[in-house]
Amino acid sequence: MIGTVGYHILGNHSMPPMLYSHLQELDLPSYVKVDELNWGPVAVTQMFQAEDPPFQRVVILCAIEREGREIGELDIFQWMGGLPDEEQIQACVGDAATGVISVENLLVIGEYFKIWKDEVYLVDVEPGPEIAGEQLTVGMEEKIPDIISVLRNIATGNVAEYGELKTLQGDLIFEEENIV
Amino acid sequence: MCFKNLPIAFDEQGNAYLKEDIANPYEYKVVDLGVEQDKLKSLMEKNGFIRSVDYDPVTRVAGALAFHSVVDLKDKKVLSTNSMATLFRGYEIILKGRDPRDAAYISSRACGVCGGVHATTSALAIEMALGIKPPPLGIVMRNILLAIEYLYDHPLHLFLLSGPDYSEELVAATNPELIDIAGRTKAKNKDVHGYNTILDIMKDLNPLKGKLYLEALSMTRVAREAYVQIGGKYPHPQSVVPGGISVTVTMSTLNEVYSRLIKFFDYGQKTTGIWDDIFDFFLEQNPEYSQCGVRPATMADTGVWDRPDSYDGTFENCDKWGNDRWSTPGILVDGEVVTTNLKELNAGLEEFVEHSYYEKWDGQTYKTDANGMPLSPNHPWNKDTIPKPGKQSWRDRYSWDTCPTWDRMPMEAGAYSRMYLTAKAQRAPASEFMENTGHSMLLNVPKYNLPAKQLEWKIPEHWNAFERNRARAYCIPYSALVALENWKLAQQLIRNGETAVATPYDIPKTGTQIGFGAWGAGRGFLTHHLIVENGLIKNYQIITPSTLNAAPRAPWGAPGPYEEAVLNTPILEKYDKPEDYKGIDILRAIRSFDPCMPCTTHIMAKDSDHVVTREVTTCACGIE
Repeated sequence: MIGTVGYHILGNHSMPPMLYSHLQELDLPSYVKVDELNWGPVAVTQMFQAEDPPFQRVVILCAIEREGREIGELDIFQWMGGLPDEEQIQACVGDAATGVISVENLLVIGEYFKIWKDEVYLVDVEPGPEIAGEQLTVGMEEKIPDIISVLRNIATGNVAEYGELKTLQGDLIFEEENIV
Repeated sequence: MCFKNLPIAFDEQGNAYLKEDIANPYEYKVVDLGVEQDKLKSLMEKNGFIRSVDYDPVTRVAGALAFHSVVDLKDKKVLSTNSMATLFRGYEIILKGRDPRDAAYISSRACGVCGGVHATTSALAIEMALGIKPPPLGIVMRNILLAIEYLYDHPLHLFLLSGPDYSEELVAATNPELIDIAGRTKAKNKDVHGYNTILDIMKDLNPLKGKLYLEALSMTRVAREAYVQIGGKYPHPQSVVPGGISVTVTMSTLNEVYSRLIKFFDYGQKTTGIWDDIFDFFLEQNPEYSQCGVRPATMADTGVWDRPDSYDGTFENCDKWGNDRWSTPGILVDGEVVTTNLKELNAGLEEFVEHSYYEKWDGQTYKTDANGMPLSPNHPWNKDTIPKPGKQSWRDRYSWDTCPTWDRMPMEAGAYSRMYLTAKAQRAPASEFMENTGHSMLLNVPKYNLPAKQLEWKIPEHWNAFERNRARAYCIPYSALVALENWKLAQQLIRNGETAVATPYDIPKTGTQIGFGAWGAGRGFLTHHLIVENGLIKNYQIITPSTLNAAPRAPWGAPGPYEEAVLNTPILEKYDKPEDYKGIDILRAIRSFDPCMPCTTHIMAKDSDHVVTREVTTCACGIE
């Protein structure tokens, strides 16, 4: 499963939903599904729960502003599981059920309801400062082929070529330095 | 004569006019909030048990409501309250200068839950401005769509957002003395929900693990599945358009909807049984709970669900088609119906910004409505949204929310206002499934797995946090039955070959057209006021339920509904030391309104007419 997460009409921050229709048209193996995962972590969880067989590998495309990266620079994170305290999980569910789009909420709620069966990866691309708009900057546009290539590779199992990956854990994800 | 405070009178023929011989008819007093703050400061300096308690965020939603209170922990009283919307919602600015046809899609994004009602309210505003009458099936399908949206929203509020406040985990932490009693108290409605004792219910209300919590999550899915049959997607439907809807409706569509809708018949019985048991238990154990979040039943509601043989979209006939709605629009003041006419509801509206981060606007475009009813310079059609971020001060300005009033009174909004007004006014046309008695609403729920049953929601003596939530529970069968009645109408229309779902229209390229949309969100009152000039939106003003409920003080000092409800709330929580105080009573009071601050607060346009940042101050702590 390749899933896209992000708000619309926020320039580079909206790269994942903007890329969604393009990803759907890619010549990917039939076992790879592309879907928008913007429509609420609770609803996504319910969709995953109904999948039979479950997705073996989930690759989530997101664009989160982080210090020290150039626009279009890409990091791959592997989700290692773990959960924050229950109060925080309940806060995630509250946000999720009321329409907040958030990768960390999706990861935590998915983990709590055990929808992540095997491997989950986050392909996180630097968007730069948040601005309104329906267009990508030139810097981001130039990186699109690389982003697609990474998504294709990971979705089809070629993770090893990216070496040792950065990791994310649910029990640490809401600590300030780890907030995505 | 519905107005007591505004300078509007009526002649013998019922025509409204501006009272004569008043120099400044819409003048109002502005009080200095600093006097109260000075008193509180002095009290806090002298008494260690009087302290500030800040809740930020409050909502179990997106954290855009902060609440400041000053509490006397010795006498267990709330002394002062301030409700603060911490984010700016810029939809009024975003929509300016755009094609009116964009409004439904853009305004839908004002909320991540109630996108469909914003889209519909926007469509109604355009229908009024441009004189568009949707075909019967378009009206009926819109009714079904929005009833289903409520069927998503009500369980969400009851079990995911507000419900945990009554769960075993929360009660054990704040009022442990109730747990043993709950374990010994038999549940009265076991026949519909299956629980032996109150404690059994409380355990299943526990967040994340409780069966009722998890069941509500699954019921939101059922509602969404039904919704997308008509709306295309949730929460922002693609099919709501001025003039009706833009999807073809067949018997197959109706069957898909029905197979989901019927699940809410049993769920409605179960939910009302559960919350009746829980709230009766609290109120029986300690009658002081009746003062939790209490305020007069002074409420506004727009009404919702149009009759296909009545609704024509026009301002001229809006009193008629408003009164024909399945839920009656109107104003309640201290539990009494003051009006059910949409024209009077509209004319009594004003918005004030003295304690909000906005500049006061100049001028008055409209002195009357199209019928000659006087309008205030503070009416939404006359308002201009001019954001002015500034220092936060409880003495002056402290919220991005405005203070809307009707006839100079802060008004409460809720799904429950819909039931209250409809039951009390007895104006809604006869229905196969509902009957309004003047003191209650009777709901004839058909059989599904449970046998058919008549439920009765009764207008309560005290309007408090528990009764808000109880009424919200009854809104589940109410919404399901309205959906069912409309579903039957839709079937008949299709059988009759009346399959048109939308009326074509053109946007005039010249001239000025005005309208307002009035429809209810899941949590109540919602209006969109629109002015179109030369084919583009000149002014767009949205008043959401949370705009009403989270309002800061009125210029003359009257507290907003949250503020008033919390001021009246006794502190019944048990604690040994002030440090252990958790504030559950205040939180119950605020959450009973179902605060959804993403509705009232959104993105700021900084130095331009466009969305730029979500640059905000989100913490109420430490404000002067």
